[in-house]
Amino acid sequence: MFTDPPWLQPRTAYLHVPFCGHHCGYCDFAVTAGQDHLIELYLDALELELAALGQPQPVETIFVGGGTPTYLTAKQLRRLLEAIHKWLPIISPGSHEFSVESTPESLDAEKVHLLAAFGVNRVSIGVQSFHPHLLAALERRHGVEQIPQAVEMVRKQIPAISFDLIFAAPGQTLAQWEADLDAALAFDPDHVSTYGLTYEKGTPLWKDRERGAVRTVDEDNELAMYEHAMDRLAAAGFEHYEISNFAKPGKRCRHNDRYWANEAYFGVGVGAARYVQWVRELNVRDTKLYVRRVLAGETPTYQSEELDPRERAFETIATQLRRADGVRRDRFRDQTGFELDELIGDWVRDFTANGLLLDDDSSVRLTRRGKCLADGIVTSVMKSR
Amino acid sequence: MPTPTRLIRNFCIIAHIDHGKSTLADQFLLKSGAVSQRDIKAQTLDSMDLERERGITIRMHPVTIFFDHKGEKFELNLIDTPGHVDFNYEVSRSLAACEGAILLVDAFQGVQAQTVANGFLAMEAQLKLVPTLNKIDLPHARPEFVIGEMEQAMLVEDPDEVMKVSARAGLGIEELMGAVIDRVPAPSGAPAEPLKALIYNSHFDTYKGVVVYIRMIDGNLKPGQRIKLMRAGREYVVTEMGQFRPEPTKIDELGAGQVGYFTANIKTIDDVGIGDTVTDAFNPTAEPLAGYKEPKPMVYSGLYPVNNNEFEDLREALQKLKLNDSSFSYVPEVSDGLGFGFRCGFLGMLHREIIQQRLERDSELNLVQTAPNVTYEIKKQNGEVVQVHGPQDVPDGGGIDEFREPIVKISFLIPSTNIGGLMTMCTERRGTFVRTEYLSPQRVILVFEMPLAEVIYDLYDKLKSFTHGYGTMDYEVVGYRAADLVRMDILVHGNRVDALSIIVHRSNADRRGRKVLERLRKEISRHMFEVALQAAIGGKIIARETIAAMKKDVTAKCYGGDISRKRKLWNKQAEGKKRMKAIGQVEVPQEAFLAVLEDD
Repeated sequence: MFTDPPWLQPRTAYLHVPFCGHHCGYCDFAVTAGQDHLIELYLDALELELAALGQPQPVETIFVGGGTPTYLTAKQLRRLLEAIHKWLPIISPGSHEFSVESTPESLDAEKVHLLAAFGVNRVSIGVQSFHPHLLAALERRHGVEQIPQAVEMVRKQIPAISFDLIFAAPGQTLAQWEADLDAALAFDPDHVSTYGLTYEKGTPLWKDRERGAVRTVDEDNELAMYEHAMDRLAAAGFEHYEISNFAKPGKRCRHNDRYWANEAYFGVGVGAARYVQWVRELNVRDTKLYVRRVLAGETPTYQSEELDPRERAFETIATQLRRADGVRRDRFRDQTGFELDELIGDWVRDFTANGLLLDDDSSVRLTRRGKCLADGIVTSVMKSR
Repeated sequence: MPTPTRLIRNFCIIAHIDHGKSTLADQFLLKSGAVSQRDIKAQTLDSMDLERERGITIRMHPVTIFFDHKGEKFELNLIDTPGHVDFNYEVSRSLAACEGAILLVDAFQGVQAQTVANGFLAMEAQLKLVPTLNKIDLPHARPEFVIGEMEQAMLVEDPDEVMKVSARAGLGIEELMGAVIDRVPAPSGAPAEPLKALIYNSHFDTYKGVVVYIRMIDGNLKPGQRIKLMRAGREYVVTEMGQFRPEPTKIDELGAGQVGYFTANIKTIDDVGIGDTVTDAFNPTAEPLAGYKEPKPMVYSGLYPVNNNEFEDLREALQKLKLNDSSFSYVPEVSDGLGFGFRCGFLGMLHREIIQQRLERDSELNLVQTAPNVTYEIKKQNGEVVQVHGPQDVPDGGGIDEFREPIVKISFLIPSTNIGGLMTMCTERRGTFVRTEYLSPQRVILVFEMPLAEVIYDLYDKLKSFTHGYGTMDYEVVGYRAADLVRMDILVHGNRVDALSIIVHRSNADRRGRKVLERLRKEISRHMFEVALQAAIGGKIIARETIAAMKKDVTAKCYGGDISRKRKLWNKQAEGKKRMKAIGQVEVPQEAFLAVLEDD
């Protein structure tokens, strides 16, 4: 089926649907709100970009993210799923993974039914919090009462459910975060992603913080929240398999695991990234521009770079270190052609001595403290390139 | 034919920074017709870009102009005196080549510390002073008051002698040139005597070799003539000579009393001793001129490339600089924390700053500069006396009989309302009061003796700040004196950072140690582990600070598109690292190496 290894030839595809009912203040994804008239045009463009693959590309996993893919009407959603079905056929149905992102307020029985019919077997729900005032601070559009309804609908037809939860939201206390986690676990999800709120430069929330209008959570509390998530979810039988992701045994997100392994993936849609045959590409982030370009027969790609082997190797360290499994020396050698220790042996020794890394000879991984400082560790390593 | 001595006048301008020396010199060029209004860049004679940018003159070209006065054509040679205390040694060089000096004072700001110091130097050198007020056209000018100060400072005997000009507006320039001709004596040299000329400066030219600046005393000089540098004992054949008018202009003879330059295939400026006497190799003069003292670097600091592999590039850059600046010195040194670099000697803090800027500009090197220190002397118990150019030269443990430091005599000219502030500052800095002298009820000169180390340690900024910019100072080294000095070491995360060691007076060690650590704590960002900062004397810890470990540094998500974005961030951070030095696992920014210098 595949002639090249997974770090060269994609086994997985990402599709981006930018539309949302509202652009939340913290969000810096490629998102379009209040432009519903563009949806059909966007689907036209998406079909064209998929057609540019030349021939159907069989894949093992698919991830449809956003925006809010389920913001589309059932009819629009069907168009999208049909296009995916045509151009990105699943290799062995039954052992595949097909994920779709959603929000509690955008789901209905008809859409869920449609998703299931097209083979979607994993739905992630943007729950974020069970506290009305935090949902308001994050500008989310759903009410707490909509969450159980959404979960119930999905559970009837889709085998795996994931929750997205945000901690360190403006004004959030540790007790509130504990309550959010408890509430989430009460639904017995298969997978939980916990995101520490990031103030991304240029977002409305970032601007509010700049002018002092946001009550941010201090470092100690944010740390306590993260550590509580690690403890609480472990106690509930989840494995902490990536910095911000927890899964019941056998329920990891295989699609995202490819990113963290620094392997290849297709990417389609506005703002989408792809990594094919060692070339990283990014599509334009503006929905109108994306549509205009693709419909005019132009490429939506605006940035493309081929990494040299050494860069690739360092990037592989940076992404793989985020995993609980860390960097396995033998696989690293196969994938990059470099010996791990030849590149970062000194750092591994230093960080191991400082209790940030664990080295069992076959692999190197973050300790619990290391997980809290992952960016700093990666930054240090990347500076030594 | 050379100009006869009776029609030559050699003079310089003594002025405080900002009192308008360069603008006045430009006016001389303009009024004499040497340069047209169209061609004059502001301050033509300031040769270095850095000088023009900063509006200060360190070295100004000499210039020869011709001016008609009372029916005769006079040759006027203007020789510069540097306006900054770091370059004071050059003042005496210039004075020795002149018979007169324009003492230029701002008609509002009045006499400054340096005006007084250099004015006295000129009088001691038997120069005729032509006191002159500049900026006379400004509405707030107060000529009577300032003339009163000049009298009080004994720079003026007869108030009617004071010339009044506005260099900016071009007022009174011809009158001033006339006064120079009338009052400054003609040079006394004899054309018939054997060649005798004073070397007062030189610069290096890529094509011609060293260009030697001379003041002719006796005899004459022609191309092809075999000359001898008397002290160096070397002989050369003159290839070219000329005068700066203001562009270098070839002429075929220099006669007694004239000022000009010559070239003679001389390879490096070190071959030409400033102050040496030029004479004819076959018909030498009997006695060489007195010459001058060699300027000695008084301030030293380490200069390191941020990337160790740029060491050779730095060496090349230093060599190039040295070609035109013999007062600057460098020797290789190794630091545990900083790797390979150079210990560099400078005349003072401004000189040091200028050299660093020039290095960074001309060579695109990223440099780390360590805190400056003065030259100390250590008398060992075996009687041997050694010069100490940096803390690393201080022997560990005992063996020191006497630790000596350079002492300066420093005079401050300040508003009399600031006497209290000045006394406090000088006492804190181990100064001893020498005398007070009132120029007027409002302005006063105070003289102290003080260790030079205390002067380079931000004293000038302090003075400017508490006198609201009105205070000025001038100093000269008067000798060495024993003091209770110690080397204070700084440890970062348990590693002694030799580049952060400083020599301090024991009574100040605690205070300085704490300050340095406080500053370091601000400059070094948090790491993934706790970083201990310590100050120690001879192994004994005297102060300690801690930089708490960073607790959380992780962004939540990292999916497909994020990897590309993170790449950009990593590249940016790697770029930022170039200004950092790794001490063990601790990244120390360049600013931190100056933490030992600054104080607040």
